[in-house]
Amino acid sequence: MKIKLFLLLLVSCLVLPAKTWAQQDYRNFNTLTRDLSALASRHSANTDLKSLAKTPGNKDIWALTLYSGQAQDKPAVAIVGGVDGSHVLGVEMTARLAEKILTDHKDLLEKTTFYIFPNMSPDATEQYFNALKYERRGNGANTDDDRDGDFGEDGFEDLNKDKRITMMRIEDPTGDYRMLEEDPRIMVKANPAKGEVGTHKLLTEGMDNDKDGHFNEDGEGGVIFNKNLSYNFPYFKPGAGEHPVSQKESRALLDFLYAQPNIYSILTFGPANNLTKPMKYNASGANKRVVTSILKGDAKLNELLSETYNKIVSPKNAPASVTEGGGFFEWSYFHFGKLAMSTPGWWAPMPAKDTTQKETKNAALNFLRWAEQNDVNDVFVDWKEVKHPDFPNQKVEVGGMVPFKQMNPPYTMVEEAVNKHSEFLAAFLKMQAAVKFENLKTESLGDGMNRITVDLHNPGLLPTHTEMGDRSRWMRQINVDLKLANNQKIVSGRGHQLINVIPQDGTVQLTWLVQGKGSVELTAGAPHVGTETIRIKL
Amino acid sequence: MKSLINIKLALFIFLFVPLLMQGQDVSDIFRAAGTPHDTKVSIAFNRYYNSEALAELSKKIADAHPDLVKRQSIGKSFQGRDIWMLAITDYSTGDADRKPGFYVDGNIHSNEVQGAEICIYTAWYLTEGFKDIEYVKQMMKDRIFYIVPTINPDARNNYFEEANTGSSPRSGMIPLDDDNDGKADEDGLDDLDGDGSVTQMRRKSDHGNFILDPQDPRKMIQIGPDDIVTAQRYEFLGSEGIDNDGDGRINEDRPGFYDPNRDWGWKWQPDYIQRGALRYPFSAPETRAVSDFVKAHPNIAGAQSYHNSGGMILRGPGAAEDIGTYNRADIRIYDAIGNKGQEMMPGYRYLTVYKDLYSVFGGELDWFYGGRGIYTFTNELFTGYAYYKNNENRSETRYKAEKDLLLGDAFTPWAPYKHPTYGDIEIGGFKKNFGRATPGFLLEEECHRNMVFTFYHAFHMPHLSVAKINVKPL
Repeated sequence: MKIKLFLLLLVSCLVLPAKTWAQQDYRNFNTLTRDLSALASRHSANTDLKSLAKTPGNKDIWALTLYSGQAQDKPAVAIVGGVDGSHVLGVEMTARLAEKILTDHKDLLEKTTFYIFPNMSPDATEQYFNALKYERRGNGANTDDDRDGDFGEDGFEDLNKDKRITMMRIEDPTGDYRMLEEDPRIMVKANPAKGEVGTHKLLTEGMDNDKDGHFNEDGEGGVIFNKNLSYNFPYFKPGAGEHPVSQKESRALLDFLYAQPNIYSILTFGPANNLTKPMKYNASGANKRVVTSILKGDAKLNELLSETYNKIVSPKNAPASVTEGGGFFEWSYFHFGKLAMSTPGWWAPMPAKDTTQKETKNAALNFLRWAEQNDVNDVFVDWKEVKHPDFPNQKVEVGGMVPFKQMNPPYTMVEEAVNKHSEFLAAFLKMQAAVKFENLKTESLGDGMNRITVDLHNPGLLPTHTEMGDRSRWMRQINVDLKLANNQKIVSGRGHQLINVIPQDGTVQLTWLVQGKGSVELTAGAPHVGTETIRIKL
Repeated sequence: MKSLINIKLALFIFLFVPLLMQGQDVSDIFRAAGTPHDTKVSIAFNRYYNSEALAELSKKIADAHPDLVKRQSIGKSFQGRDIWMLAITDYSTGDADRKPGFYVDGNIHSNEVQGAEICIYTAWYLTEGFKDIEYVKQMMKDRIFYIVPTINPDARNNYFEEANTGSSPRSGMIPLDDDNDGKADEDGLDDLDGDGSVTQMRRKSDHGNFILDPQDPRKMIQIGPDDIVTAQRYEFLGSEGIDNDGDGRINEDRPGFYDPNRDWGWKWQPDYIQRGALRYPFSAPETRAVSDFVKAHPNIAGAQSYHNSGGMILRGPGAAEDIGTYNRADIRIYDAIGNKGQEMMPGYRYLTVYKDLYSVFGGELDWFYGGRGIYTFTNELFTGYAYYKNNENRSETRYKAEKDLLLGDAFTPWAPYKHPTYGDIEIGGFKKNFGRATPGFLLEEECHRNMVFTFYHAFHMPHLSVAKINVKPL
């Protein structure tokens, strides 16, 4: 094992020049593993690379800690990628942010620790690099998605032999789909209320292997990380797993996160999006026992973050937040109580106006038009007739959007997205909450009696605790401790006290009467905002 | 010298008394109806066994009946103890793990102990009754019982061996920081008077709202703001303990705390919504072990978990928000079994958790039913009804029963104590084995009645068979 690692390092040193970020394409599991090891060994004083678990597909879940001094002594941001296996961009951006912090922004480590999890779905993302490509999201666990007692018995087939799984359209008057007027390549659901009738059935590419009338409903893999968390868990839905946090990946990550009390915020790269558009507060959802809305104070914070984000990253044409229940981003806020941020990281802007084309609201078509204008190739597989044994007397065509392309841009565009998000991260960290002692005053009242007064101030633009974090037992309150020497006594005030929250730019005044001579030690803080200590002379 | 004699005496008792007991010839014993006779294993059901003793008993049962029992550890507890399970069926017929299975466990709450003894009694009854109780023989032919006496072996021992009240620790043994100071479990209860139980602390106080009952020195009478009182007033200071961590508070960071029965994966909610929840569903190793076992045994069709106390036969939903999960057809089946239970266990009431007890998420019975479709009951064992077979004046009954039926064995008389924070106080009260745990002389009855209730449930599990085959030429 050790020799293997050594060889790996040796090879990476010889083969790779130092600048790993100059690579040309998204990285598969082995390449990323190699690069992470190389990165960690290049910056060994500031990194800790650890495998949290092996997935059912026998791949490591990597946790990379970036720190200086003691990791747990500083407020931390967790950055999580690969929550959705079809979003390889998230993996890349997470890894490259780590690389960027270490190479260009090491100064950030003076105040902040980063816990970086580049890929939570390594079993699934590998499908992007395999010969046969499809947007796989589940891990390597065997599942019985259609609950018929057989596992993985009805997956996709590449009927048109183009090495990717797209769609099939079957000409059939009982079908619910029709061709989009603006572009007949795009299939949309017919809406009879608008006078539209269906002309086709639309299915994913493949056969009904188990002859149960459903197509590709129980293929290989597995459980989807981003559907396996505990908030609003989608019971009995394919890919969710039998119950929340049933998989090694989700357990390992949560076990790790719960063991780091210094985490203040979590940035997720995935389909959820509360950065271009903040989550909306809804009083009835927020006041229920099972909270379903962001809390009021946190909604305000989200607005501030969103404003900051949109100044750096253009929000135009950004996709709406996607959640199917059991999502990681929702968990990080609703169940973990942290300051939670999530973004897809990149999306195609609207195509430039073209007078020869009718404007459309269809997202897929807009994407195709943008791609064409920007020389992004290979985004659509033209419909081609195939012989399909399950539809012997019908016209069946295979084609459609090329998998992955809408969420994952050509690699040349990744750099810019990484730069912008690193800029946002730096702007966000400037807002970080902290505790500082200000206006210390000691007065001698005679008879060896002293009054100590001090303001505990949060100079940040964010509160010490989100409103949700204030409710959570997993975010420690601010502990204030006045430590005395043997000949000293507190006459008034508490030696140990807790403060729930200090608002942004807020202050809590503290005061004690202490009898005695010499000096006392005053400490205040919590792991996720940092700790301050001063010695006070009496 | 004295201790040497004690050791010798202990050795004698340990080595020879069991032999003397087993030396009774079966011909000297007249069979009591409904109880297995001429048994291979003898177990006393008027006492409680710690986790090691339970493990030993389950081993004895398994060793004595290799054709009826397979004993297996379904996982390790947080502190590394095996969680023992007995799979009991007639292994000579059928494929054991394809028979309809009935799952039973006890003791999920550490201080709610007697479920384990009921489990042991059930295992003992099934194995010893097999040879000559026809009902048992039939049941074992086409049913299998999976019995896990304790799914909380660490905290069971903590309850017995450490400073506890009858209601603590309830939690499992994973240390957690309850008072937000970064330290875990640093200020728990203390058995200051060394009587083996954490009882109550009280102090004379001019403004206290209790006085002594002149007719019963054990008892305190609460007084109202308008009462004119000439007697010495007292104030209660809570459960026995000191400020171990010097933060000005007493007993505020006890073992845990989390509630293993808020840790199950059906509609689970985090601690700020559902107090007692741990990190995520099945984040305690003990509940995870049960869940893994149940998921690997899709033949389980009925289940029972044992808690205490109050004399209840509980069904879900645990949470008001989960009413939709319990459909009408299934509730009819729950009702049929639950009502039968009320008849079999006098003093017990058939109730629904969310409306009759409290509305909670993450309970075991909800995961079994909601997640796995298994009809499941939770029995809250023991009720004060048992003392005099009626429900009259329950609060008085406790004192009466303690004195007349338990001969004063369950109360530590109030005695003075010098407390480091409170000064001159008195310590006394009911011992931890009173109130929730069934008293010894009633325990075997409790075991038997609850067991036959599970038999009734197990008997009615679905069991498909081909009734008749007709062949017709087409």
